Amino acid sequence: MNLEDELRSALRRQEASPDFTERVLARVAAAPVRRAPRVSQPWIRWVAAVAAALLLAAGGLEYRDYRGERAKDQVLLAVRIAGSKLNKAQRKVHMLAHRSNS
Amino acid sequence: MKPARLPITLLLLAGILPAQQVKWNFDKLAARASDSTEVSLDGALLQLGAKFLSDDDKDQAKIKKLVGGLKGIYIKTFEFKKPGEYSASDVEPFRAPLHNPEWQRIVGTHSNEDGESVEVYIKNDSKGIGGLVIISTAPKELTLVNIVGAVDLDSLSELGKHFDFPQVEVEKKK
Repeated sequence: MNLEDELRSALRRQEASPDFTERVLARVAAAPVRRAPRVSQPWIRWVAAVAAALLLAAGGLEYRDYRGERAKDQVLLAVRIAGSKLNKAQRKVHMLAHRSNS
Repeated sequence: MKPARLPITLLLLAGILPAQQVKWNFDKLAARASDSTEVSLDGALLQLGAKFLSDDDKDQAKIKKLVGGLKGIYIKTFEFKKPGEYSASDVEPFRAPLHNPEWQRIVGTHSNEDGESVEVYIKNDSKGIGGLVIISTAPKELTLVNIVGAVDLDSLSELGKHFDFPQVEVEKKK
C-alpha cells in the first residue's frame, strides 16, 4: 500500500455508532460542575463591601459639592442681575422724586 | 361645584399650594437673540446654593438671608446684535400673565437717553410680597426676572448697588 492509499484509508468517512449521542450526553451529565472559587475568608468580602461603600459615599459628597458650588454661582448671578435692575428702577424713582421736590 | 374640585379649591383658599413661577414662552425671542443667559433655581437648588454661601463674606451673608425665604428665582436675558431686533409686541406676551389682580405694577421707568425701560411688578399675598417680576428692556437687551416667595426689595436693591464679588461664568446658550 502506498502513501496515498494509506492516507485515503485513514481519512475515510466513518459513520458514528448508533449510541454515540447517548454516550456523549451521559458523559456530559456525569462531568462535575465547576464553580467559581469562593472567597474562603469572610473578612475579605467585608473589606470589599466597606471600600465600595466608602467610594460611593465619597463620590456622592463630591457630586453634592459640585452641584452646591454651581447653585451658589447661579444664586450670586441671579441676585446680581435682579438687584441691579431693581436698583436702577429705584434710582430713577428717587431721581424723579428729588426733581419734583426741588 | 364638582366634588373632585373641592379639595383643590380649599387648598387654594388656604394658601397651602406652593407659589408658582410665571410661565413665559421664550421660543420666539430665542430664535432671534445672539446670546441668552438663563438662571433657573427652584426651591431645593436655591437652598442648596445658599448653604454654600459664606457667612464671613458680608455680601454673601446678606444674600443668604435674602434667599432664605424664597421659593425660586428664574431669570432669562436675551442679547441682540443690533437695536430693533425685537419690538414692543414681542414683550407684551411677557406682561400678559401679570394682568391679574394679584399682580401690581409698582414701578415703570423709561430713559430716553439710553432707551432702557424697567418695570417692576409685585405679587401680593396674605403675608405681604409673595413674588416679584422685573421686565427690563434696552435696545439690544431684554431681561426677565421672576422671583417666587417673600422677597425683601430693599435688601435686593441694596445688593444690586454694590456688587464687588467677581462675575461668575454661566452657561450661555446659543
